[in-house]
Amino acid sequence: MSIVSPPSVGGDLSPVESSIQDAKSKFGLRKIMKTYPMGVPLLGAYIGSFGLFGAIALLRGANPFGVFGAMLQSSVLNVGSIEQVILRAVPIALAALAVSVPARAGLVNVGGEGQLIMGAVAAAGVGIVMGSSYPGPLVWIAMAIAGALGGGLWAGISAFLRTKMGANEAVTTLLMNFVANDVMLYLIYQPWRDKFSSGQPQSQPLPHSSQLPSLFGSQLNVGVVVALLLAVLTWYLVRKSHWGFALRVVGGNQEAARRAGLPIARLMISSMVVGGALAGLGGMLNFAGLEYQLVPGITATFGYVAFLASWLGRHDPIKVVLASLVFSAIALSGNGIQLSYGLDGSIVDVLLALIVMAPLFLSKTRKALTK
Amino acid sequence: MNGVEQSFIGGIEGGTAILLPALGELIGELSGVINLGTEGCMLAGALGAYATAVVTGSALLGILGGLVAGAFFGLIHGYMTVNRRADQLASGLVVWFLALGLTSVFGTGYVNDSISPLSIISIPVLSKIPWIGPIFFRHDILVYISYILVVVLVVGLKRTRAGLLLRATGERPEVVGVAGSRPALIQIVAVTLGAGLAGVGGAQLSVGYVGNWFDDMTSGYGFIAVAVVLFAAWKPLWVMLGSYLFGIVLAASSVLQAHGIAVNQYLLDALPYVATLLALIAVSKKGGSNAPEALTRALTDTT
Repeated sequence: MSIVSPPSVGGDLSPVESSIQDAKSKFGLRKIMKTYPMGVPLLGAYIGSFGLFGAIALLRGANPFGVFGAMLQSSVLNVGSIEQVILRAVPIALAALAVSVPARAGLVNVGGEGQLIMGAVAAAGVGIVMGSSYPGPLVWIAMAIAGALGGGLWAGISAFLRTKMGANEAVTTLLMNFVANDVMLYLIYQPWRDKFSSGQPQSQPLPHSSQLPSLFGSQLNVGVVVALLLAVLTWYLVRKSHWGFALRVVGGNQEAARRAGLPIARLMISSMVVGGALAGLGGMLNFAGLEYQLVPGITATFGYVAFLASWLGRHDPIKVVLASLVFSAIALSGNGIQLSYGLDGSIVDVLLALIVMAPLFLSKTRKALTK
Repeated sequence: MNGVEQSFIGGIEGGTAILLPALGELIGELSGVINLGTEGCMLAGALGAYATAVVTGSALLGILGGLVAGAFFGLIHGYMTVNRRADQLASGLVVWFLALGLTSVFGTGYVNDSISPLSIISIPVLSKIPWIGPIFFRHDILVYISYILVVVLVVGLKRTRAGLLLRATGERPEVVGVAGSRPALIQIVAVTLGAGLAGVGGAQLSVGYVGNWFDDMTSGYGFIAVAVVLFAAWKPLWVMLGSYLFGIVLAASSVLQAHGIAVNQYLLDALPYVATLLALIAVSKKGGSNAPEALTRALTDTT
């Protein structure tokens, strides 16, 4: 791929001609096309996405450039907003990695939403039980373990159903999202209900001493660092470890994996459990670092956004984290549009959809190239 | 009227808002394309129907508006997955987000409008049958349309050329191609038609059962519809049964609350999902599911 102009090409050309060709291929469009064959079409498709979004804004009587300006202003143009973007990206990125890891083994995890919820629920349970009678760090660690277990076990059920019963995991993980949501609502409305709050039901709040400490007085908290470390760890596991390699074999060619004597079922289940644990930790960090209470809709469809982020990042941990940051920024930028244009903030869902649509639209082109 | 009867009546009325999208999803999945965007198509249909009803003053025309709006989003999904060979799950979610955003932005103007919803039609004689009558034969027109649709699908899928072609496309599109039909076209038509039905399901909510429009009003009905198709293992009659099961459970919890019985509705709400999971396991364990082969391939290859 990296060899752009092999020396043999210039063999039967005059020196001048060949040097012209060299220059062309070094700096021209051709070289870019060759190294990044999807670059130009993708760029075009993304421009199309933003154009369409601008057209929709225009249709609602808003100046598209003004709208884009307001979006940037409320997401990345000031420190406070950037901090918010990073904070919101924590659950999205971890739930997205929860899609990426099983994807290596050829498994489809649509259950990020449910795994986020179960992570938060498990963490909340531990937080409520331990209360303020234990030192903070002890509660944080207990909540993290509970969150990872909650998400991991929840995903593990689907992996078990796939390997032992042959039930499609894409479908079961999706169904488990709704069960998780109902479990959380049950807890919020009855046993864990905050009796001192009026209005919308919510769980008892996490005692102040158990909340994750902020970083250097900013809005950011320790959870951001933990999430970053988890992302690096995931990258290492997936890309560098023996386990990660085995997952790729299982995902790439199950027959080869079987003949090589790999424990396919165990690898599949472990990939799903690790993924679920990551999402569960995402739910826990979001709960202990930002929300402090379980409320209906705590995940705000982040689990599904995460699926798209993982897909957009082609399941590569680094790209997936970047995609999650972008989606978090888009989700947050709705506030700016609502404030300055009176448009419904949900319009950013349209932009999110259009952005993923660009590479989806080019699927055929990419498949033809990789063939 | 006792609570049980009330739950059943509401279950059929609300269950129809699941049944119509589920039948649509059934058609799409039989052709080999799953549409997770069914929720979005329903939302679009709900708004399309409501807006049409507000503008024309006719809830019946609203049904048509719902059909068109749903089909539009289905066409996007069909084009993306079939023509552009996009990942079906990702494309479905994209369609959902697209509809979620667009209906919020374009729907704000209709939140305060009111309409006269679809009228209740009592079928002569049949509606007089004790117990059965009020439950099955005193509803709006969409409920009756859904009855007819189930019969059409039960017969049509097995006995007609179109039904055979549809199912063959879902199993082996290549063979259908060799036999001289165009599998890609069949799939796009099936997905678009299915999404149109999802739109009509949305209409059942906005101009029928609920009689109002508000943001994100389908609140997961579309996802339930996808679940029901799996619960039913791609059989129309079971789709009907599953839809009513979900509908009755959803209606029962509000009836119980209205009677002041302190149950936690959320555990009840989870029941149909658990039932669907169990049904899936049972079907899978019986030795391979009868899922359309092309669908299984699409779900496992998500690159």
